Amino acid sequence: MSMGFEDSGVGTESETKAPDGSEACAYTSYEEGEVDAEYPKTGEGAEGVAREVWDALYEVQDPEMPVSVVDLGLIYDVFVDEEARSVVVEMTLTYTGCPARDMIINDVRCAAETASGVDSAEVKLRYSPGWNVNMVTEQGRADLREFGLSV
Amino acid sequence: MTDAKTDYAAADDVGEGERQALEALLFRLADDEYVVAERYIEWQIYAPSLESDLALANIAQDEFGHARLWYDLLQEFGRSEEEVLWERDSADFRHSTLVELPFEDGDWADVVVRSYLYDTAERLRLEALANSSYAPIRDRVGKVLSEERYHREHAGNWLERLARKGEHGDETSHRKLEAATERLLPHALSLFEAGPHEADIVEYGFRTRTLEDLREEWLDIVVSFMEGLDLAVPDPDEVERPEEIGRDGSHTDDWFDLYDDFTHTYRELDFEEPIKLRAQGPKEKGAAK
Repeated sequence: MSMGFEDSGVGTESETKAPDGSEACAYTSYEEGEVDAEYPKTGEGAEGVAREVWDALYEVQDPEMPVSVVDLGLIYDVFVDEEARSVVVEMTLTYTGCPARDMIINDVRCAAETASGVDSAEVKLRYSPGWNVNMVTEQGRADLREFGLSV
Repeated sequence: MTDAKTDYAAADDVGEGERQALEALLFRLADDEYVVAERYIEWQIYAPSLESDLALANIAQDEFGHARLWYDLLQEFGRSEEEVLWERDSADFRHSTLVELPFEDGDWADVVVRSYLYDTAERLRLEALANSSYAPIRDRVGKVLSEERYHREHAGNWLERLARKGEHGDETSHRKLEAATERLLPHALSLFEAGPHEADIVEYGFRTRTLEDLREEWLDIVVSFMEGLDLAVPDPDEVERPEEIGRDGSHTDDWFDLYDDFTHTYRELDFEEPIKLRAQGPKEKGAAK
C-alpha cells in the first residue's frame, strides 16, 4: 500500500543542494505537513440536498482501506445546483499515481447520485492543497488504527 | 502568486498562441515522465535487491502518476487520452533522449546516474512552474514536488554508496558510475533544449525561468555533487552531443522500439473505448453499500 505518508506535504521548498546529508535509514514521518484550516471538509453544517450528498459520500470507502473517503480527507467541496438537479464533487487523491483513481471517482459519483433531488453528479479532481495525512479526521484516524496503521 | 503577467484560470481562458505554448510545455513534461517510467519498470525483478526493486517500482508509479496529471491538462484542450498518448505518432513525442535510452544490460549504475540527473532537473523545472501564470499547472506542482523528494534521496544515496570506495563501493562500481555519466550526460543536456514555443512559454509566464537558467543551476548542482564524490564529469561544453535531441521529435532508434512495445497491447486489442472495470451507472437509491 502506498498512501504517500512519507510525503512532507510541503510543496515548493527550495533545496540548494543535491541529497547530500541524506540518511540511508531515514525514518518515515507521519506527522509532517501543514493543513489549511478549512480542511478536512466534512460537510459539517450542510443541509438539504448537500447534506444527503455528504451522507452518501461518507458511505464510500477507500478501495485499499476500510475508511470513508470523507474521513480520509479526500472530499474538498460539494456544490449542489438544485434547479438543474446536479451536483459537482471536488476531491483529491492521496497520491498522484493512485491506480484506483477511476474506481474512486466512479464510486463517489454514483454515491452522490443516490441523493434525492440529484439526477447527475460530476467529480472534479483537485491537487491543491496537496493532500497529506493531517487531513484525516479523528474518525478516520481511529478507523486506520483499527485497520493496523499507526497514525 | 504571479507578477504583472496575465493569469489564466483554465483551458477556456487561453487564446491560440497561449494554447500552443502550453501544449508544448505540457508534452515535454508529460512525455519525460511517461517514458522515464517505462524504462524504470524494465528493472522489475532485475534490481539488485528486493528493496531497490520495490523502490524503483514505486518511483515509476509516481512518474506515471505525474505523466497522467500533465496528460490530463492536455486533454482539457479537447483531446482524448488516446490522442495524447496511445495513438500519437512516435515522432511527435517531445521527451529528452536521456529518458528513452535503454539501460546497458544489467548496469545498475546507469539507473542510479540517470535518475539522479533526471530527478535533479525535474525538481528545478517544477519549482519554475510553481508560480506559473496557468493556474491548472501551478495547482499541481506542490503535490508533485512533495512526491519527488524521496526519488532524489534514492538516487543520491545509491550514488554515494557506489562512488565511495570502502564499505559498499569499490573500483568497479566507481568506474561504472563514471562510464554511465559519460554516456548519459550528453543526452541529459537535451533536457534543456528549447522547442519552437520556448519564447512564448516564458513570455506568457507559464514557466518563470528560462531553460538556460535552469541548465546552469542544474550543472552547478550535479557537477559539484558528483565531483565531490570523486567522480569525473565530462565538460558539458566539450562533450559530443548526439544528433537526436528529443525535444524536436528527433529520437534515437531505441525510442521507436520502446514505442512499439508500450503501444503493442493497445493496438492488438483494438478497442474503441477503454474497458470499464465496473458498472458505471448510479446505484439504486437507498441501496445498501
